Amino acid sequence: MLRDIIKKEIQDTIMSPRFVFTFLLCTILILLAVYTGINNYQAELKEHSAAMALNKKNLESQQGYQQLAGLGTKINRKPQVLSTIVSGIWEAVGRVASVNIAYDPNMTESKYSSNPIFAVFGPLDLTFIVKIVLSLFAILFTYDTIVGEKEKGTLKLALSNKVPRDRLILGKAIGGFVSLLIPLLIPLLIGLLLLMVYPNVSLVGGDWIRIALILLIFLLYLSVFFTLGLFVSARTSRSSTSFLILLFIWVTFVTVIPKASVMIASQIKPIPSVHEITAQKDAYLQEIQKEAFAERTEYFKNNPAPDKDQPEARKKWEEGIRKWAEDLQQSLTGKIDERNAAIERDYQAKMQQQQRLAVNLSRISPTSAMMFGAMSLARTGVDEHDRFLSSVRTYKPIFTKWVNEKMMQGNIFGGEQIKPDLGDMPQHEFIPERLEESFQRVLPDIILMIFLIILFFVGAYVSFLRYDVR
Amino acid sequence: MLETKDLTKKYEDGLLALDHLNLRVEPGEIFCMFGANGSGKTTAINLILGFIPPTKGTAFVEGVDVVKEPLKSKEHISYVSENVMLYGNFTAYQNLDYFSKLAGKRKIKRTEYAEVMKRVGLQEEAFDMRIKNFSKGMRQKLGIAVAILKDAPNLILDEPTSGLDPKSGQEFMGLLLELKAKEKSIFISSHDIFRAKFIADRVGFMLQGKLVMMKTSEELHGEDLNKLYLEYMHEHSVDE
Repeated sequence: MLRDIIKKEIQDTIMSPRFVFTFLLCTILILLAVYTGINNYQAELKEHSAAMALNKKNLESQQGYQQLAGLGTKINRKPQVLSTIVSGIWEAVGRVASVNIAYDPNMTESKYSSNPIFAVFGPLDLTFIVKIVLSLFAILFTYDTIVGEKEKGTLKLALSNKVPRDRLILGKAIGGFVSLLIPLLIPLLIGLLLLMVYPNVSLVGGDWIRIALILLIFLLYLSVFFTLGLFVSARTSRSSTSFLILLFIWVTFVTVIPKASVMIASQIKPIPSVHEITAQKDAYLQEIQKEAFAERTEYFKNNPAPDKDQPEARKKWEEGIRKWAEDLQQSLTGKIDERNAAIERDYQAKMQQQQRLAVNLSRISPTSAMMFGAMSLARTGVDEHDRFLSSVRTYKPIFTKWVNEKMMQGNIFGGEQIKPDLGDMPQHEFIPERLEESFQRVLPDIILMIFLIILFFVGAYVSFLRYDVR
Repeated sequence: MLETKDLTKKYEDGLLALDHLNLRVEPGEIFCMFGANGSGKTTAINLILGFIPPTKGTAFVEGVDVVKEPLKSKEHISYVSENVMLYGNFTAYQNLDYFSKLAGKRKIKRTEYAEVMKRVGLQEEAFDMRIKNFSKGMRQKLGIAVAILKDAPNLILDEPTSGLDPKSGQEFMGLLLELKAKEKSIFISSHDIFRAKFIADRVGFMLQGKLVMMKTSEELHGEDLNKLYLEYMHEHSVDE
């Protein structure tokens, strides 16, 4: 009997105009999203290679270490292959970080800054389609599952037979969910085939596991809305009421809770603005510059230059200055780096507290859980961005130390500069998050969605057992 | 056989929808229950079918207590509701097949479905038509076909002729007489006094949840049932 109910539910949905509409729209959108993702990724790969080559050329063209220290090097973030399906925040936060001795590195040159129109509409990726379009379809498929049958009178007719209610709701749930999966899975599989056959999109074993987990998260997310639809449908006596309630909850989950969480978190745990932080750093820089000037004056007062007719003494004096200047430079940049790092650490700690609060608050909504989960697995989310930026900031003092040493080895009294030798320049290294770490990060989101699915399904189940079919 | 014993339903808001209904419909008998809207006819049906629990009393279907063994009791009842909608995206055949399977009839052949459809007055062409294109009368006939296929000894019909044209109504009554001849106990809730008087073995009048009058066809012989109903309703509402 359960099989008959499931079969009927699938047949009834498949033969309905809304299924045809959903299937067509899903196919177009999903394939378009994957195609756009692949094109964006390929363009980013090209841009990345070009930017790396340009950076190398720029470094090589520097006449001396002084210019190199000021110009610095550019760290270009390599595009993530899974940004083809989950673009995440990378397009918004920038792809390049400049590392020089003066400033703290930050990500710049986002896609939005180069073309602001992208910021208006946002990316069309698979996450967006699942988050907005498919969750709406899940509601559209379920809002009248129970109440619609009551209105048609078919519920009374079905229950006038020897059909246990629990079996009926189970059959309807399974059949309805399978019907929802068909318009999702078929275009998704075609999309994955596209990923496989496209050149320059090389997916390794770990990527496939990540894709499988992302798809699992999408399924869980849709299941939340599906079971919610079932629950509301089993709690209402009119399908129009059911649809309105579900629409209200959908808007709350998809837009209100995520935005409100960020606002609430910023009120509860405020952080200083970027301008305040910059002002603090600038003030310290000025302080250090004054200190350097005073020390320089003091040094030259205590160590007057020998006459030019005393070449030996003059050479020794110059050596002394070189040593003193190198030590001073290292000491001052060390102080600046240390202080800036302390300010940055404090700022980052506060920001992370705020972020954590916002994330945890927003997790009440399955939309946030799905977004965070998918982005973590695709390594295009906030955490990966923080890790990348942190790696750049770790690299900064290494680069500074190297360039300072090189500068001091050169002629500090002007004249001909030494052409930089980039052979021993330390390179920035970034190891993307491992699968185990990503999985641990998304586990709470998965558990939360499973909890919501169970909650809503049990709610629907119990409600249907007591449902007034009249 | 259908039987109710002191079947009572009082809702949480205090409304007494059915007040101690005692009734017995024997095999091969057609019982027609008349009454205004809200008089308790549909409540009685909902209680017999176990859609709502009674406040007091119970009903028996082939001797099975509908409160104690609701699922078992449903094996013995076929039900035809007012305004049968069924599944609009399904064909007539698919609807018959699904509801027959729910009724536990798993080995019905396509030819048997077609035969029952003909019996209820549906054309062969309608067999593979989606029923969203059916008229109300055609859907009602299909609802009867669902009930016939279940082949239960008891048949409950809630306003079965509402919306049927005179010809379909006449055919429908003929069909009920056929079922009566097969020893089915038939319980009809209706407003259609005109048609029902020709086929009913007994009639009952409901007023504010109470069965206020019950007469056999012999007792009604020569009486104008429509007039009697109106007089009875007026008299009792004055008493109230």
